Amino acid sequence: VADNQPAAFGQNKTAMNENLTLEQYAQDLGDAIRRESMGLRTEAVPSQNSRRESETGLPDPEFNELALCLFQLQLEANAAYAKFCRKRGGRLPEHWTEIPAVPALAFKEWDLTAIPPEERIAVFHSSGTTSHRPSRHYHHAASLALYEASLLPWFERHLEEAFTKPNLLFLTPPRDRAPHSSLVYMFDAIRRRSEMGPGRFLGEADPLTGEWRLDSSAVVEALEEATRLNQPVALLGTAFNLVHLLDGMAGQDKVLFLPAGSRVMETGGYKGRSRFMPKDELHKLVTERLGIPSGRIVCEYGMSELSSQAYDQAIGLGRGTQSAPARVFHFPPWARARLVAPGTNREVGEGETGLIRIYDLANAWSALAVQTEDLGIRRGAGFEWLGRAARAEPRGCSLQAAGGFLP
Amino acid sequence: MNLPNYFLADLPPEAALTPVLIRECCQTLKRNREQYLAAQSTSHLAGVLSEAAANWLNPDDPLRRLALESSPSQTGFSEPILRRGLDGFFRHFAPANLEQLIRQDLGHSQRLDQWSGGETEIEDRRSALGFGPEFLLHVTAGNLPVPALMSLTLGVLVRSAQFVKCARGGCFLPRLFAHSIYQVDPKLASCLEIAEWEGGRRTDLDEVLFEEADCVTATGRDSTLESIRSRLPRRTRFLGYGQKVSFGFIAKEALTRFHLQKLATGAAEDVTAWDQMGCLSPHLFYVEDGAAISALQFAEHLAEELARRETVEPRRPLEADQAAFIQIRRDFYEIRAADGDQTQIWSSPDSTAWTVVYEADPLFQISSLNRFIHVKATAGLDEALHHAESVRGRVSTVGLAASGPRIRDLARQLARWGAARICPIGQMQNPPLTWRHDGRPALGDLVRWVDWERD
Repeated sequence: VADNQPAAFGQNKTAMNENLTLEQYAQDLGDAIRRESMGLRTEAVPSQNSRRESETGLPDPEFNELALCLFQLQLEANAAYAKFCRKRGGRLPEHWTEIPAVPALAFKEWDLTAIPPEERIAVFHSSGTTSHRPSRHYHHAASLALYEASLLPWFERHLEEAFTKPNLLFLTPPRDRAPHSSLVYMFDAIRRRSEMGPGRFLGEADPLTGEWRLDSSAVVEALEEATRLNQPVALLGTAFNLVHLLDGMAGQDKVLFLPAGSRVMETGGYKGRSRFMPKDELHKLVTERLGIPSGRIVCEYGMSELSSQAYDQAIGLGRGTQSAPARVFHFPPWARARLVAPGTNREVGEGETGLIRIYDLANAWSALAVQTEDLGIRRGAGFEWLGRAARAEPRGCSLQAAGGFLP
Repeated sequence: MNLPNYFLADLPPEAALTPVLIRECCQTLKRNREQYLAAQSTSHLAGVLSEAAANWLNPDDPLRRLALESSPSQTGFSEPILRRGLDGFFRHFAPANLEQLIRQDLGHSQRLDQWSGGETEIEDRRSALGFGPEFLLHVTAGNLPVPALMSLTLGVLVRSAQFVKCARGGCFLPRLFAHSIYQVDPKLASCLEIAEWEGGRRTDLDEVLFEEADCVTATGRDSTLESIRSRLPRRTRFLGYGQKVSFGFIAKEALTRFHLQKLATGAAEDVTAWDQMGCLSPHLFYVEDGAAISALQFAEHLAEELARRETVEPRRPLEADQAAFIQIRRDFYEIRAADGDQTQIWSSPDSTAWTVVYEADPLFQISSLNRFIHVKATAGLDEALHHAESVRGRVSTVGLAASGPRIRDLARQLARWGAARICPIGQMQNPPLTWRHDGRPALGDLVRWVDWERD
């Protein structure tokens, strides 16, 4: 906490980076990802088994160089991040693991961005916390281009399959009804750019509250239609979207068996909008009601504060239907997760629980290192997601602060 | 040291508890009470309790040693923290103190032994005799051990057969305490039972106890108490001690350069006692403006003191979720602190062991506990209480540092506002036996009275 060496940051730009700008960096990274030269080609096919760091597609020295370079650029261009780093003090990082991770909630307190106000064309809010200031991740054209460059290949790597072109059914509202959702932006980019089949948004947003709704009978109709035509579908949405759909189906006593090649992408998040259901139970119901086996239910881990996403498996690979192993999430080669013991900067050991901290090279105009409030178990270079730490419930007679009690 | 099997809690974990077993156990307890405990005198019972307590204070006592040696694994607390907590508790157990508790709550030390009365009763040719419940059930929370020991003590004084149903992982010390009573008076111990199961998991066993008990005490979360209360027969008396918060107030005249160290030490004592997990543990300290020392300086001293304490009385290790919770709150205040001088944070390096957060904003803040303490500046008690409105009615203890004629006024203001106990800073987690728990006479509430009016 001590404000020791404020001067250490922001000095000594290395010769290599001399004339680099954030724009140039983002352009280069986006091109590299598109050329598949960011380790995508050498990336081992993800399976349920954890991989070691050395097996990921981007060697550590390359990741390190890019991360340190981006950090330097962000210190110069992102005043809020620079303020945070100065306050935290310490040496200039020599390795990417030493880069100060800004807590996700700093996106609520500050404009954590290098984009000047007049250039901002989109802002993504964290969902759920309606009563508080939402977090704000600003974007302009170049940052959105990088976001799209980052999200597409990793999505395709996990949700695409040769020979089938499913119709994409998004359970969220469309982009014009949910302009501040990074997830919906991602779905829209997938709809526009993916080589899968045509896409439709089936959700709605309440015009007054912005709350997401789903007309489950309309979804069922679309699914029945696809079943009749034997057209595979990809259902994509949040966990609570799926709970709504499944509850609606239970209400109508509907059971479907979607055509072969169908798949589900589910991303975390209930945010109090539907009843909470443990993942295993949710997936079991998806299998029972929609006929989609667990090996074709892909979980995504993403945040509005990031520009890359992690997935737990590629469809059709790995997981059997019996006693599924834990779902282990992996980011693309240009982003890495560390699981850190609370109160320290130390990575926890294999199989141990820690706070998930993400280093995302595609977070060019905000902060590349983000400390989440999520707990996970370290599994190789990936992690098993446990949930929000603030759920911790105390025992006994003393009141204890719980999630959401912060002023 | 292997303990003999006297209590259900002594049985190996695989031993299956059944409703039939619990029923038989309740009946045995009642029978033993009838045959022995009901006829014992107050002086004998006070003698047994204070002898058992004296053993607990003896460094060579095998039960004490067992408790301290196994503390980290059994109670979670570090050995020094448990030692301080137990010593502070058992130090109060002199026979005179136990008698004083009876006199305070019941008006006469012989109330439970014979017809007796206070001055006005005697003038009116009246006297009264008090009886404890026949079968007293305690449902205890798992956060710290002392409340269960206190409940058992009160039950012994009123000669009740007692069953202590502990929260999961919470029976270790109640069980050792029961063994220590056994060593002094085995027949008395045969009227006690200690068992443990996870709340809500064995409603079949709960039901038997709820049917058998004529009085139930419970400590814990408000939702737990409500659930117990709703399941009790109407005739059963219920004494619930729910969730409370505590805080400290340091008046400007008390915070002099001379007193600073003493106050910081006392505050640290309150924060570290039971690792801040009790309802008497402070969530924050208000520091009044205008003192020779500012709230900010006090916070800094408190941080130094907590750092020093950590080296001699380390906090218990935390589960990842609790530690993560502290980290997330630290992050929050660190971000605030980067924005100016209205917030400052001091924290243990490379661990979550302790955290002090100073804020100029006087709004009451619930702590994440485990040695996470807020220090807030305030213009005065009026303002502090105004900002503590969110916890009004749920405040147990206020640690008060003030002096001169003002202390009486401040104490009265706190009392009117709704605080249940006011004590010096440094004593918050160390109430005397005569403490009126959450504003109620804990012993007195157990007693059923019989009045006798003579011609």
